Amino acid sequence: MEIRKTLLKIVGLMQAAIGGFSIVFAFLAFYNIFSIQTMLGATEADIGFYLSVFVIVGILSIISGLFLLYEQTRVGNHD
Amino acid sequence: MSKRELAIMTKPQLKRELGLLRATMLGVGGAISAGGFATIGYAAGIAGYAIVPVVFVIGFISLITMFSYAELGTALPLAGGEYTFSKVAFGGFVSFLTGWFEWLSNMFYTALSAMGFSYAIAYIYPQVNIPFIAVLVVIIFAFVNLKGVKETGTAETIITIIVLVILGVFVLGGWSYTQGTQPTHPPFPVGIIGIFTAASFLFDLYLGGEAVAASQAEIKNPGRNIPRAIVISGILLIALYTSVIAIAVGVVPPAVLMEQVSPIAFVAEQAMGPVGGILVTIGLAIAGLAATNEAIMAQSRVLYAMGRDGYLPKMLCKVHRRFSTPYIAVIVCAVFTALFTATGLVNFVVYAVNLGFIIGFSIVNLSLIRLRKTAPHLDRPFKVPLYPFMPLAGLATCAFLVFFIEPSVIVLGLELGIVALLVYYIRMVGYHRIRIALGGVSLGLGVFAAFAAYLLGTNSIVLHDVAPSVSTLIFGFLIFISIVEVLGGLLNILASSK
Repeated sequence: MEIRKTLLKIVGLMQAAIGGFSIVFAFLAFYNIFSIQTMLGATEADIGFYLSVFVIVGILSIISGLFLLYEQTRVGNHD
Repeated sequence: MSKRELAIMTKPQLKRELGLLRATMLGVGGAISAGGFATIGYAAGIAGYAIVPVVFVIGFISLITMFSYAELGTALPLAGGEYTFSKVAFGGFVSFLTGWFEWLSNMFYTALSAMGFSYAIAYIYPQVNIPFIAVLVVIIFAFVNLKGVKETGTAETIITIIVLVILGVFVLGGWSYTQGTQPTHPPFPVGIIGIFTAASFLFDLYLGGEAVAASQAEIKNPGRNIPRAIVISGILLIALYTSVIAIAVGVVPPAVLMEQVSPIAFVAEQAMGPVGGILVTIGLAIAGLAATNEAIMAQSRVLYAMGRDGYLPKMLCKVHRRFSTPYIAVIVCAVFTALFTATGLVNFVVYAVNLGFIIGFSIVNLSLIRLRKTAPHLDRPFKVPLYPFMPLAGLATCAFLVFFIEPSVIVLGLELGIVALLVYYIRMVGYHRIRIALGGVSLGLGVFAAFAAYLLGTNSIVLHDVAPSVSTLIFGFLIFISIVEVLGGLLNILASSK
């Protein structure tokens, strides 16, 4: 049960962090900071699509991570 | 809905502190808005001098539905207004959709009122930052609403009386000005389409009765005071708006009115000099504050009711121990309203408000008809006269006006309806199923990240102007993301259902 609890915590935090990074990356790409648009070979028409995809992926990843963290607290309470 | 459920619902938890005067002022103050007066100029440009009968007729159209509000408000004196009516009449997704649009419409209306205040101020001080001032107003009145209904009602009453006095001065001043001038306007219309478009644009002028219904759980002696407050406020508003508009187009031609940021203040300045312009600006600014105050109260009560019934998180129906206000709902409403107000979009918001309230009015009339059939023995202290013609007429006029709403707003309405469907599904489907669905999504993301890493590793996709070391780093990061997402997905899918 301790291993499960630790795994839930670590994976949950990492997923949430990845989600946050994805959203930040989306806005970096949108404003072409660090020439991300050039790196991706994205045209001006495509960039809105990239923004939407990364933001949605980011939000889903954050929510999934939060679910794991919540599950971890429930496992802790049931011990 | 069973009798037991109905009995439970008829037990309010908010305090009844509003008497007839305050309830009436709630209805009048909730409708009088600087935003509404700002839009009169645009509508006058569309409909020409026919704007005067248009405003008069809209008032009577609204009054038809206000009778339905009065009957349902006295039969079901609970917080929530149209949402509560449709919950009792239909239940399920229909009532959720009603509450959803009701909340959104009130939120747009709050934003519009706050912006109306800012535009009024901008007439005297052009350098003000309009969205910033509007957001500040929203925050201040959120605090007022957190404090309590009695304080809200008192503030509303005082503000509304001041505004009525100033508008009364405007009407008298404008009337005496027009006595000394020759009428030059041609006979009516710009065209019948223009008239109907103006009607759909100005629909929000008479939304005061809806504000009374949303706060019916806090009105003393509801069986007597609710219908009286609704009808009296409706009649007052018809008289007020018709006279104001008639004076406005009597002093300034509609085409000129259309170009003004604050048309009524402009008319006052023409008729009564700079002092008149400033006085009316102060009145409109105060009206904007009153409408903002009332709209925050109305939208928070809708969220309270939806939280109470389980459509939205239960925390929204928490009532503050000391102030007896739904403080969580007030805070949530204030946050969303402030965010939307900060955008500064005005004309679009007007149509959005009207579409939302037209939907609400239609639901009210439909709910009345349905409840007369399914709950004929429900205690109704007030009954709509000339049933079923009144609610059917209300329904028909609302349906007709929808055709003249800006098409992009109709599209927005459909999009918001889809979002409502998603929110309802997520709320109703249950925690465990949502986790499984998210687990599946995470698995998919993990597989996609692994595939992207594979393509990068085999040079099937190339990152432009990127050093090989950085490309390797990105490859490693994609692998890491893939592992985390797959693990996260499996953990969510395999989670206990207890």
